Amino acid sequence: MNIQRLAVIAMLAGVLSAPETVAAQELRVGFTADALTLDPANHRDRGTETIIRNMFDGLVTRDSSMKVVPEIAEGWQALDSTTYQFKIRQGVKFHDGSDLTAEDIKFTIDRLVKENAMGGQTSPRQSLLGPITNIEAVDDHTVVIKLDSAWPNLPAMLPFQEVVSKAHVERVGEPAMADAVNGTGPFKLVEWRKGDSVIMERFDDYYGGATDIAPVGKACVERVIFKIIPENASRVLALLSGDVHIINSVTPDLAREIEAHPDTDVVAVNGTRTTFIALNNQEGPFADIRVRRALAHALDRQIIIDRILYGNATLTDGILSPDAFGKNKDLPGYTYDVDKAKALLAEAGYPEGLEVTLDADGSTKELAEVIAVVAKRAGFDIKVAIGESSTLKSRYRTKGGPIDGQMWLTSWGNGSLDPVGIFVPTHRTADRGNSSGYSNPEVDALLDAANTETDPAKRAELYSKAEAIVSSDLPNIYLWVAQDLYGVSKKLSGWQPSSDSRINLHDACLN
Amino acid sequence: MTFGKLIERIIQLIPVLLGVSLIVFIMTLLTPGDPVQIMLGDQLVTDDLERSLRRDMGLDLPPHERFFTFLANAAQGDFGTSFYHRQPVWDVIASRLPATIELSLMALLVALVTSIPLGVLAAVKKDSIYDRLATVGSLFGVSMPGFWFGILLLLLFSVHLRWLPVSGNASFASQVDPITHLLLVDALLRGRFDAFWDALKHIILPAITLGLPMTAILMRVTRASMLDVLNRDYITFAEAKGLGKFQILAKHALKNALIPTVTVAAIETGSLLGGNMVVETVFGWPGLGRLVVESIFTRNFPLIQAAVLLYAVTYVLLNFIADIIYTILNPRVKL
Repeated sequence: MNIQRLAVIAMLAGVLSAPETVAAQELRVGFTADALTLDPANHRDRGTETIIRNMFDGLVTRDSSMKVVPEIAEGWQALDSTTYQFKIRQGVKFHDGSDLTAEDIKFTIDRLVKENAMGGQTSPRQSLLGPITNIEAVDDHTVVIKLDSAWPNLPAMLPFQEVVSKAHVERVGEPAMADAVNGTGPFKLVEWRKGDSVIMERFDDYYGGATDIAPVGKACVERVIFKIIPENASRVLALLSGDVHIINSVTPDLAREIEAHPDTDVVAVNGTRTTFIALNNQEGPFADIRVRRALAHALDRQIIIDRILYGNATLTDGILSPDAFGKNKDLPGYTYDVDKAKALLAEAGYPEGLEVTLDADGSTKELAEVIAVVAKRAGFDIKVAIGESSTLKSRYRTKGGPIDGQMWLTSWGNGSLDPVGIFVPTHRTADRGNSSGYSNPEVDALLDAANTETDPAKRAELYSKAEAIVSSDLPNIYLWVAQDLYGVSKKLSGWQPSSDSRINLHDACLN
Repeated sequence: MTFGKLIERIIQLIPVLLGVSLIVFIMTLLTPGDPVQIMLGDQLVTDDLERSLRRDMGLDLPPHERFFTFLANAAQGDFGTSFYHRQPVWDVIASRLPATIELSLMALLVALVTSIPLGVLAAVKKDSIYDRLATVGSLFGVSMPGFWFGILLLLLFSVHLRWLPVSGNASFASQVDPITHLLLVDALLRGRFDAFWDALKHIILPAITLGLPMTAILMRVTRASMLDVLNRDYITFAEAKGLGKFQILAKHALKNALIPTVTVAAIETGSLLGGNMVVETVFGWPGLGRLVVESIFTRNFPLIQAAVLLYAVTYVLLNFIADIIYTILNPRVKL
């Protein structure tokens, strides 16, 4: 009896611990969120793009230093300020074996920019392509894009758009595009198990990808699985247990666990998201510039970065990341100076200190509490109020309407690293990301001029000037640009994280 | 008889569903947060695009019109389009529902097979070491946060022992053509024992985590009602008749003692659907709970509406099932 029972237990244990049979070349990524759709034109979601960019290529892409380089295009030139010509590579195949032609490029762009072009609906990505009015296929390997007005940002925005096959879309119909993938990317879809994983396998007829990004050729691994693991701690456990080889969105505290493990490493890349404290410039204490400046002097940002973010962030004076185009590198900045902060507060009529409420959401709670503690020495008595992110957005991003609140710990992402994606929405009068009620006609004029200036040097100069004015007006307290951290298995080679948060697995290998 | 009652229950459902729809709709109106802005995020936007998205989402219509359009469409089984997936809501929900049902049933099973024997044992051996352990254990089970318990299980079984996978509900290699969309059931129906084993390895930790609080509650309920039943005259009479201890427990006591357990189990099964959210997040389980919570954060109104209606229907049905089980356990109870 006892022996029988022992035998059963032994057998169970044997089966339980039997190693999983896994193909040698299966690369698994533990990823925060599932794709919303696999149709590259029908979403507005960074995570979705990260997943599907492995199955679809674009006209152009970015290398690891964020430089825009040709991908399906051979190259491009601006014929004039509103006309761009793209030469298309020969021999690019879709996953179904058909050849890509200029007609597919035209179809893809039309589908993105034309009203109601997607079975009666308009692509939510339309505005990412700005003032494109028309695209023509001149011959099989040339397209010409016409713009309504000069828009030097076009090449920087094109990596976000992926090319689809005209014949395929017409064959399967618009609604089916949600999970019927036929791209030109290095991997083709095997199965999308919604909420669980997206499974892809190597496309053996791949044309090789961008010639400027070595190695050129088909992908290294045979199969790729994006496994959806939303919880931060579970994602780290999946990496530590060997279930996955790459995980995204690692928090600084968990990064230390990954570094301590013998089989795993942390890799970091400068992010594109600027963290700042939006101050209500319309009314209340922060309507007084002296109080805003006092707060800037009251915060020892470096110590917060060192102690709370474990050094994984770069200080920034101003909304633009130090890596951004047009960044003003000579901003005077506001040094940590408690006496100066106290003096400014007293001058503004708060010699006994000032009581204010800092809004934050669950993900920034800890940082907000540290900010409150740090600012206390200078006389700021900051109460932290935790709200829900969508609610806070509607209270502060009022497009010029009255703001409900005093200060908000927030951030704005900018995948293109071009000021047009961050400076304009957060600082132009009544724009959609303006959370301080800031309005300066001079800044507005500079931003508008930069938007259509085609000479890069002049354009950079305009942004630089605008940033200097903003730095003096100080509508917000600019804090830092956090690094994006990824956990990787030591078996992985050939893969680097990218600032725009894409995870391109074409060059990734497993040893 | 039962069938007539079922029809009656279904008719009773109509005012419930109308009321739930109205309440949810009013709440979506009162909640701050604009789905269009949430969808657009931090990226480039034009006014034209905002307008066309608002139109696609149906948010350009006045509220009463939106509500009545929703009702009219819902009556025909069309719950609208998910704002961000841009696919029919029902398709999105249907892709996630089987995983949630399977996990809930498994958690229920785990809870029932552990709680009832433990509860009976604790009652029969009242004040013994078993009783004490069970009481302390149930306190532990109820108060342990699912989130924390789940991570502990993962640390032990997935990271240290490497016996069980960290996330998901199946490995790529063990795919089975769906019949019921419940992986364990499909694997058995197709005779794929490797796939069954794989699915079992995936489901066991989430099921234990989800079922733990329910196990604790059911054990306490079973123990209490068992103690009550054991003091009844008919048990004394059965003892006097000279029936064996096991026969008394199994035939006379347990059947009566289980009635409260069934009631509580039915109610708790409803709340399993809600409790799923935490467990689904920790274990990367591709279920509905996670989707609904994500939808609330992103103000995906059509999906919230449909999911809440689905939860309401589930609750009503579970109560009905509990009523039917009563009549089986105790023939004196009539529906």
